[in-house]
Amino acid sequence: MCFQGKVALMGTARVVFDRWHNRYAQRLAGVRSSAVRDLFAAASRPDMISLSGGMPEVSRVPHDVVAKAAREAVHHEGAAALQYGSSNGRLQIRTLVSELMAEIGVRLSADDVVVTAGAQQALDLFAKTMLDPGDVIITEGPTYVGALQAFSAYEPDIRCIPMDDDGMRMELLEAELRRLGPRGAKFIYTIPNFQNPAGVTMSPERRRRLLELAREYDILVVEDDPYGRLRFDGGHMKPLRSLDDEVVYLGTFSKIFAPGLRLGWITAPRPVLAKVLLVKQAADLCGSNFAQVTAERYFQGTRWRRVLAELTRTYAERRDAMLAALDEHFPPEARWTKPDGGFFVWVELPPYVDCSSMLAEAVEHGVTFVPGDGFFPDGRGKNCMRLAFCYAEPEKIAEGIRRLAEVVEDRLELYRAFAAAGALPTHEEGAV
Amino acid sequence: MKAKIAVLMGGRSLEREVSLASGQRVAAALEAAGYRVLPLDVTADLVGTLRSERPDAAYIALHGKYGEDGTIQELLEFLGVPYTGPGVVASALAWDKSVAKHLFAQKGIPTPSWITLTADAFKEMGAATALDLIPDAVGGFPVAVKPARQGSALGLQRVDSAEGLADALLTALSYDTSAVVERWIEGTELAVSVLGGIDADGTDTVTVLPPVEIVPAAGLYDFSARVNAGDVDFFAPARITPEAANAAMAVAREVHIALGCRDVSRVDLVLDEEGRPFVLECNTSPGMTETSLLPMAAEAADMTFQDVVSRLVDAALTRADSGT
Repeated sequence: MCFQGKVALMGTARVVFDRWHNRYAQRLAGVRSSAVRDLFAAASRPDMISLSGGMPEVSRVPHDVVAKAAREAVHHEGAAALQYGSSNGRLQIRTLVSELMAEIGVRLSADDVVVTAGAQQALDLFAKTMLDPGDVIITEGPTYVGALQAFSAYEPDIRCIPMDDDGMRMELLEAELRRLGPRGAKFIYTIPNFQNPAGVTMSPERRRRLLELAREYDILVVEDDPYGRLRFDGGHMKPLRSLDDEVVYLGTFSKIFAPGLRLGWITAPRPVLAKVLLVKQAADLCGSNFAQVTAERYFQGTRWRRVLAELTRTYAERRDAMLAALDEHFPPEARWTKPDGGFFVWVELPPYVDCSSMLAEAVEHGVTFVPGDGFFPDGRGKNCMRLAFCYAEPEKIAEGIRRLAEVVEDRLELYRAFAAAGALPTHEEGAV
Repeated sequence: MKAKIAVLMGGRSLEREVSLASGQRVAAALEAAGYRVLPLDVTADLVGTLRSERPDAAYIALHGKYGEDGTIQELLEFLGVPYTGPGVVASALAWDKSVAKHLFAQKGIPTPSWITLTADAFKEMGAATALDLIPDAVGGFPVAVKPARQGSALGLQRVDSAEGLADALLTALSYDTSAVVERWIEGTELAVSVLGGIDADGTDTVTVLPPVEIVPAAGLYDFSARVNAGDVDFFAPARITPEAANAAMAVAREVHIALGCRDVSRVDLVLDEEGRPFVLECNTSPGMTETSLLPMAAEAADMTFQDVVSRLVDAALTRADSGT
């Protein structure tokens, strides 16, 4: 028996529609997932190589150490672990967060921290706190698709600022801010380190310039930093929050421990944090005490540092494998970023190429990627693709890139034939 | 004891999710009808499982490549497992929209004028230099551009002027190595489901169900509209004159017979403003989900879903008994 579908509970022959389809909130119309993409994701086969998901390699987190942490959590703090907790999170884990932040140059107290269900919840809570429909916000273009999803539910007008190898282009940000005027946007959202999906890191000069502009136009900056500790090459770069304590900072345990615990945090100016906390009480009363106690135990001692160092080496090897395979197999028309850390490489093909249209063929060839347009709110990025190197073994990555290159080459051959006849459709230039 | 029926679903086609939904609904209905049901996702274990489980018949709830193109049918013939739906030849003919349209034209069945272009014609033979000839060849814009072999309208686009043509062809050619450009007929979109067939001894059991009218909210009944309930309105029976309904049903019957279909098919067509039907394509493994067209048509004809799937399974079992 190899039945893998969902359980069928339908005994009726009646044609049943979603009777509630015209009862949903209007704002949900903007946050539908792409049906075609869902479908490709499901079209799995045993030897499929996924270069699409940004999943941490949790198999390298020693399970016995986690088991010990969880056991201790129950033995020593069972009553607390099983009970409701405070909305902002346990003092112990908030203290741990302040210690972790001190290591990257950010001084704050435990009271400046609210623990959330992953940084994803922080994105949602913050957007819910700040946004009315039609409010302008500024993001990098491309940007994290989960942030776009979280923000979109509150119906903002999202302006994307293109990037280059040094991150968000400040002259373009400045031009946008000038158009919008002082306080013309609710906030500027950035992932300065090893950006998702572009893989690029914002240079120190740009960080300083971003903060200058934000002060000049009196706009909050939101720094999302899930990958900051996963650096392979080069020196540590100061977080925006360490240069300006008005910056809202989102952190996560997902990449330094494991995403399964759903633990992240937000720090913000105290009045903003108080509002976020109010919103959080309505959202979930409090986070999981059990997860918090387990994490507190896991981060005692120094073992976690060795695990993280090992994990980072693993990701670095995979990054190397991907870049080498791209060099070897991808056609000369393609360009890609060379990340110093994180999970992702961003590939840009000539502007007339539509990467979503290659997904079907890629799936047939046994490899998946994420087409670039999902990382923009406005349909740009069609000629781009995000490749994740975090989850597949180096040999798999090399084979996946080889398969993908065949698909790209096949498509480009068709495009070249159209180009030779002067029949190519014209498309807007992509990004990064 | 009631017969054991393998319900084949899923597989690797791009329509996997739709197929799983169809298959689960079919499995539930067959179980309710008293059959022993063996729900099978089509993986590399399929043949081994069929050999060890020895079902009396297979219900093909696969959609798209491998399920509708003759592949699974040929395999089941080889394994001696009787199956529901059209046979190898009818499946293969209907699956390729270009081949099917040639056949319609030969048989005098109305179908919008069209041309077919393959990826190799572009890559190897310079077909891209002849895009300017396309509008005249099919009777002007707008046109529909679609992959010749793909289901659920994946890759289907409407093109209103010369500028969009290259883009649409490139998209269609990402789903198949062959693209069809077809004159766009403005009018009422209908799906006409057909049950039964003409047996080897000439017995005619063809039943044509009432046409279902499709009114997509966004003007195009594409993949997204097909899988998202609420993006499209259906009317069963269709809001058309009895004469138009009869014309559509007659032409659907002709298509079913011309392709050599048996058991079931769904003929998609457009009624132009004068009420004349034009056949777009024929599906040999129509969707059986809650928002699929065939179950809607059956309901309009006072048949339950269980009646339909039982009828298909009984036809397959009868073929097994008679050795055909």
